[in-house]
Amino acid sequence: MIDMVLASAGLTLIAIGVFCDFVAAIGLIRLPNFFTRLHAATVGAIGGAVVPMLGAALLAIGYEPLGETRFILAGVAFTTSIVTMILSQAGSHALARAAYRARAAPLQPITYDALAEKRGDSSE
Amino acid sequence: MKKLTRFIAVFLYIYAFYIMFTASTTEFSLTLGFIASALLAALSTPFLIQRNLGAHDLKSFAYLLLYYFRYMIIEEYKAHKQVIKIVLSRKLDIKPAIVKVPYSVKTDYGMTLIAGSITNTPGTCVVDVDEKRHLFYVHWIYATTIEPEKAREEISKVFEEYAAKIFG
Repeated sequence: MIDMVLASAGLTLIAIGVFCDFVAAIGLIRLPNFFTRLHAATVGAIGGAVVPMLGAALLAIGYEPLGETRFILAGVAFTTSIVTMILSQAGSHALARAAYRARAAPLQPITYDALAEKRGDSSE
Repeated sequence: MKKLTRFIAVFLYIYAFYIMFTASTTEFSLTLGFIASALLAALSTPFLIQRNLGAHDLKSFAYLLLYYFRYMIIEEYKAHKQVIKIVLSRKLDIKPAIVKVPYSVKTDYGMTLIAGSITNTPGTCVVDVDEKRHLFYVHWIYATTIEPEKAREEISKVFEEYAAKIFG
C-alpha cells in the first residue's frame, strides 16, 4: 500500500518535471532575448530539476526489490535537489549581472530600465 | 564556550548532510564522515557565523523549514503558472522591465535569502544590488508596475516577512 502511494507520488512529480522541461525548451526558443530566456531557464531549473529529483527520491524509497541500495539512491536524489535549489540562483545572478554590465546581450525589448539611471549618475 | 556552540552547530549541519548523502551506516563510513566534518567545520565556522547562537535560533530554523515548504508549494506554483502561460500562448505577451525593489533586512543572510527567492521564482531575476540604498534591481518578465513600493508588494513581500523572522 505505502509503496504504491510513494510510487504514484514520485511518478507524478517526475511527470511535472518533464512538462516543465518541455516548456523551458520551448521558451528558450520563443522568447526574444537573453534576460527573458533566463526566466525560461529558471522553469527548467526548479520545475524541471528540483521537483523530479524529489520524485526520484520518493520512487526509490518505495521500490522494495532494491533492498538497502534504495536508501542511498533516495539520499543522493534528495540532497541533490536541495543543493540545486540553493545554488542554481547563484549562477543566474552571476550570468544576469555579467551580461548586463558587459552589455554582452541586447536589452531590447524592454519597457523600463531602472538600472540605466543608476549607471548614469554614478560614474564608475 | 560560545565558540564551541558555533562549531557544534556547523558540524551538525555538515555531518547530517554527509549521512543523508551517503545513507550508509557502516562504522568506517561514519568515522570517516565524523573526522571530515569536524575538519571542515573547524575551517569554515569563522566565515559562516560571527554572532553568538542562542535558543531562539532553533525557532528561526523551524521558520526556515516552514518557509521553504510554503515557498516551494505556493509561490513557485504561481510563478511557474504565469511563465508557462506566457510561453505556451499563441501571441507572445511579455512586458519586460528592470524595476527597483527596496528591502529592509540588515544581515547578509537575509539579503541572500530574499535575492535567491526572487531569482528562483520564474518571471523575476535579480540583476544587480545596491547595498547603500537598500535596493535590488529586478528583471521582471511581465512588469505590471514600475513603482518601487508597488513592485515590492507584488514581488518580495512574503519573502521579506520570512527573512526578517529567520535572519533578522
